[in-house]
Amino acid sequence: MKQFGKILKFELKNYLQNKIFVGVTLFLVVAIAIVMFFPRLTSFFQNDDVDTGDTPPEDLPVMLIVADDEKMHSMIYDSFSAAFPEYQIRISDEGLEQIKNEIMEERADCAFVLDGLNSYTYYVNNLSMYDMNASIAADLLQSIYRMSAMIGGGLSPEDAQKILSTQITYRTENLGVDQMENFFYTYIMIFALYMVILLYGQMVATNVATEKSSRAMEVLITSANPTSMMFGKVLASCLAGLFQLVAVFGSALLLFNLNVSYWGDNPIVQSIFNMPIELFVYMLIFFVLGFLIYAFLYGAIGSTASKLEDINTSVMPITLLFIVGFFVVMFSMSSGDVDTLLMKICSFIPFTSPMAMFTRIAMSMVPLYEILISIAILIVSVLGIGILSAKIYRIGVLLYGTPPKIGAILKAIRKA
Amino acid sequence: MKLELKNIEKSFGEKQVLKGVSFCAEGGQAFGLLGRNGAGKTTSIRILMNVFPPNSGEVLFDGAPIDYKKVQFGYLPEERGLYPKKKIIDQLVYFAELKGIGHAEAVKSVDAWLVILGMAEYRNKRLDTLSKGNQQKIQLITALAHDPQIIILDEPFSGLDPVNARLLKEVVKEEIGKGKIVLFSSHQMNYIEEFCDSIAILNGGNVVLSGRLYDIKRNYPRNRLVIRSMQSDEIFRAFGERAERLDTDEILLRMDSPAQKQDTLRTLAETYDIDEFRVFEPSLNDIFVEYTNKEV
Repeated sequence: MKQFGKILKFELKNYLQNKIFVGVTLFLVVAIAIVMFFPRLTSFFQNDDVDTGDTPPEDLPVMLIVADDEKMHSMIYDSFSAAFPEYQIRISDEGLEQIKNEIMEERADCAFVLDGLNSYTYYVNNLSMYDMNASIAADLLQSIYRMSAMIGGGLSPEDAQKILSTQITYRTENLGVDQMENFFYTYIMIFALYMVILLYGQMVATNVATEKSSRAMEVLITSANPTSMMFGKVLASCLAGLFQLVAVFGSALLLFNLNVSYWGDNPIVQSIFNMPIELFVYMLIFFVLGFLIYAFLYGAIGSTASKLEDINTSVMPITLLFIVGFFVVMFSMSSGDVDTLLMKICSFIPFTSPMAMFTRIAMSMVPLYEILISIAILIVSVLGIGILSAKIYRIGVLLYGTPPKIGAILKAIRKA
Repeated sequence: MKLELKNIEKSFGEKQVLKGVSFCAEGGQAFGLLGRNGAGKTTSIRILMNVFPPNSGEVLFDGAPIDYKKVQFGYLPEERGLYPKKKIIDQLVYFAELKGIGHAEAVKSVDAWLVILGMAEYRNKRLDTLSKGNQQKIQLITALAHDPQIIILDEPFSGLDPVNARLLKEVVKEEIGKGKIVLFSSHQMNYIEEFCDSIAILNGGNVVLSGRLYDIKRNYPRNRLVIRSMQSDEIFRAFGERAERLDTDEILLRMDSPAQKQDTLRTLAETYDIDEFRVFEPSLNDIFVEYTNKEV
């Protein structure tokens, strides 16, 4: 136990003194800080703009509108001006060629050429991915059409306006889990788990293989119990990973609270930072256990490689296993049904349950006993895999040359 | 203190590496474990240090099965290497602590050894900034700093210059003087011959020869004579097949039995001008080659 403590301390110090580790953590914290301060910064600059007064209308991009029916011009002008405040609306009677030229020469930004109220052509120079103008215009024209039809049928413009602007009020009463609200932090947790496991798993494997290739192993294996070595290394990497996550998410939370008024009612951000404490505890449990089970496997694999170059191919099966689990969870999350049979099975298999069970807890109603069973299976598996990997480690680290086959190692373990 | 291996057998897969290895090393003495490459030396050492268990046989310490929690080993592996990117003091203290001594004690002991080996100036350097020989001296500290009862040195002299080799010899002699068991494994027979009171020669997983070096040499058939004479050519011709030339004026004569020694000497002294004669005692090198050449 004393030895385990020494190993843990030494390995943890390795991480915390590693310049790359510290650098990446700092970088992430700075990136988070920039994101969190973003609304404050933009509002700061926008305030500047407000102080100097409104943008003069001449500076706004020009939107040309061509309509044959001159009676409608004023109504069209009013509704388009209201719907497109970021444009300077100009009713034009130019020919099509001229309009096209104006747009090409960038004297106008875009143009709507109406054929009556039922159809139009939208001319624009470069159609942006997020250009909603055409569909906004369609809605506008539809209400103009309805309005003029109602006025034509004898209604007063005020009554017509009233009918068209009637709002339906409604409210939803959710008796279970709000998937939308939980979606984002589930997504973040799954993604963080994915990143951290792949990153740290590789680090554990490399760490073991480096000791082996530098032959420091020869002294280590005769000085320390392999189980202590394996658990010390893996737990150190787990603590380092948690430390990094706490640094990143902790600073995110802190900075969010500093800027909370600037974020306003952004529902995504609100939902992320208002995670229920119970869910947070589950997240922590599944994160740590999921991390450990994979880190042990990576460590065992690292011990069988004699050269650092061998690691990438050796860890492939584990990485694949993990990625398959990741995609199963991701697909079911985006489909909205997280209680499929596949997900239920995955939430009890120790290699996928950290992601699958957490997703189900967050986005659906899972009976407590199922959660406890899943956690129990996971804990037992972590210990089992940990001990197995320590055994593989003890045999693996002394084998130089080509990495042995899994079967051969298991046979050696059974004999030893 | 007495360390004993009894009938150790070990197989890796189909390959039987040790086929009943037994030897005994005593405190206050150096023991030489010899053998050609692949003879099973490293496997024996690893079993001795409980890196893996034997298939059968046992390791005894003072007559009882060894308790690895109580008996401390110091090991200098043949494949050298520590953490290349770490500060020397940090890793040496870590290795000493792994062996169970406290932090303050570890720092004190490591510092003392750095001074003894003349490495104090490198205390805070990274290991990979040192030359190979100096790295080896650093590694030696991992075998000694925790003051173990049993010290195992695998090829300790390889890669050391003569000055460092002498330093190492002094250090080892001092450890032997403290009553520790020092186990050498080496191919450099001159060092083994200089240090070791007892040896075991491994060949193909068997101990082919073991015991006190003095006894081994004394018990060697004393049926050979070394003759130095200015007339070595004549002697060489006269003895035909029984003669073997060692040097320009030295001849090795082989007799059927040691009893013929007197007669042969008399004949020689009467016939030729003999400068010097002695009974041929094989060097450890000769013994090693003889025992490991056959029955591989």
